[in-house]
Amino acid sequence: MTPDFRIPELTTDRLRLRLPRMDDFDAYARYRASERSRHVGGPNSRADAFSMLSSIIGQWQLRGYGRWIVADKTSDAPLGVVGIYHPDDWPEAEIGWTVFEEAEGKGIAYEAALATRRYAYDTLGWSTIISLVAPENTRSAALARRMGCRQDGVFSHDTYGDMPIWRHPAPSEVSE
Amino acid sequence: MTPALTNTPILETERLILRAPRPEDYAFWEPFYLSRRARFIGGGSDRGTGVAWRAFCHVAGMWVLRGFGSFVVQTKTCDNPLAMAGPWHPADWPERELGWTVWSEDAEGTGIAREAAEAARRFAYEVLDWDTAVSYIHRDNTRSIRLAERLGCTHDAAAVAPGDDDLVFRHPAPEVIAP
Repeated sequence: MTPDFRIPELTTDRLRLRLPRMDDFDAYARYRASERSRHVGGPNSRADAFSMLSSIIGQWQLRGYGRWIVADKTSDAPLGVVGIYHPDDWPEAEIGWTVFEEAEGKGIAYEAALATRRYAYDTLGWSTIISLVAPENTRSAALARRMGCRQDGVFSHDTYGDMPIWRHPAPSEVSE
Repeated sequence: MTPALTNTPILETERLILRAPRPEDYAFWEPFYLSRRARFIGGGSDRGTGVAWRAFCHVAGMWVLRGFGSFVVQTKTCDNPLAMAGPWHPADWPERELGWTVWSEDAEGTGIAREAAEAARRFAYEVLDWDTAVSYIHRDNTRSIRLAERLGCTHDAAAVAPGDDDLVFRHPAPEVIAP
């Protein structure tokens, strides 16, 4: 008896957004152990990385929406984690994006985040969504601007500190 | 459509049903995790709801990553969760573990943790085919240590523990507990 769990998948020109699997773990743990994760609570041990990858799946069970592994459409290799992050202590649902080192600088986060926003607006029927970006994370802030986001206050988290809120353009303002 | 975990095993004992976690269980998990009674497993009254939330997501998600996970324990007559018991195997855990937590204070002293842990152990041995199992227990968690002893576990001082304050209790081997 093998447990079965299915989530909606998204595909874009180059990417497939799919359920995380155990064979994604090494790539995810490498990212979580690296300095690249310093804006999102890292660096983290492999044990913590396992808990985080597991929690990505758990949020799908609790909320019905969540984050995907962004995989190369051809090779299926994991390139990052993008989707809707919404833990209990967040001000509202956000589009979160992370790409692993080997996938940086290719517009992958942008492509996956746009697909996520379309999913939130067109499939889930939402009227607004935000992204939280750590103040010193200039790359991510640049991506938020590229997506048309505008700063809309600051969220103060007990552990993660102050995070500027970037609000995405409304569904009527994006025609992709 | 909300994605749901399906095709998971259900274990039955004399009084209990052990099943995979469900979203509705979170309302019972959170007050437990944010109480002093969860202080040995990462929770406690000084923790925030986000910590409890992420911990529950971890439990639920492990079922998908590993193909097994910790069972939520309920009685045969009421769906409300009382406890959790089952196989636990995060990355870099020294060995595969059998864990248990009693969520409801009212359920303490009723023997349900033992009943559930025995069922989870049979599952680990017979279905998952484990040839040994340990339980990692904080050295100050006297209730849990007592339960491990009642389950026939012995303190394995030579085995590696995940945390400095954890003791390793080794369960009797499958051939020892087989009926």
